[in-house]
Amino acid sequence: MNSIHDDDIDVLLRQSFDGPTPDAGFCDRVMQQLPARRRRSAWPLAAGVLVGAVLCSLSLFTSPLWRAAWHGWLVGEWSTSTIITLSMMGGMSLLALGWTLAEADDH
Amino acid sequence: MCVADSAAEARIDRTLVARALLGHDRRAFEQLMRRHQGMVRAQLCRLLHGDAAAADDLAQETFLLAWRKLDQFRSEARFSTWLHRIAYACFLQACRTKSWAARHAQDDGMELLPAPAQAMDLRLDLARAMRHLSTAEQTVLLHCVQLGLSHEEAAYVLAMPLGTVKTHATRGKAKLKTWLSAWHEAAGEERVL
Repeated sequence: MNSIHDDDIDVLLRQSFDGPTPDAGFCDRVMQQLPARRRRSAWPLAAGVLVGAVLCSLSLFTSPLWRAAWHGWLVGEWSTSTIITLSMMGGMSLLALGWTLAEADDH
Repeated sequence: MCVADSAAEARIDRTLVARALLGHDRRAFEQLMRRHQGMVRAQLCRLLHGDAAAADDLAQETFLLAWRKLDQFRSEARFSTWLHRIAYACFLQACRTKSWAARHAQDDGMELLPAPAQAMDLRLDLARAMRHLSTAEQTVLLHCVQLGLSHEEAAYVLAMPLGTVKTHATRGKAKLKTWLSAWHEAAGEERVL
């Protein structure tokens, strides 16, 4: 019986492959060509965070919900506005924490 | 390589990538290159039909590109698979500009092979038969069987739909089987006579 099976083809293909090429100075040559990595400047991120924070504050300070929450916080009264605002801030913080942890895990 | 070994290798690669990124550590990248240059150069050498010098040029381009784009590596694929993808993209880019691609493309049209007059060693037959598969079939078999990538990884490297990869692999193997069986039988008959 001379028929050839799929597994035989796989074996023959693997046998005909020479395997990894020996280094023979290749890495040293490439390392000499390797350019310095450009450090990513941090200012665009910092500027974005600052502008975002300012815009967010401006929009919040004109909001009656925020004013009521702030007033309730100052007098120590847990009004609905105070609870909603604090819950939102807590939720956003948790989201940011989750995102940071996910990014850290990726790296 | 077993699954545990593969996972350990992937973890080492991820650690080295993190070191290379966070501290701009050239030594970490050098280690990554030493771990993977052999397979990347073998891949390119096969794609370039054994032209080792051209393969080394493209491999160098591949690693320089990997160094520049290292922050885009997201660990969705193994680092070696990511490198193979860059290498294949470099190969395709070179094909568009270099003359050797046209030279080798002339061989790709032939779909059927006549049985050789004399019985030959099966491995030599296989090398001949491989050259007469379509370019896509050769490329898929190289990545799936010889480089040991899964169908999913080969689809990622070659930027092909998974179904297309599976089809090319099946068709390529079927053609090789048909051709080699015919030759094998011819050789058997000659031995009997």
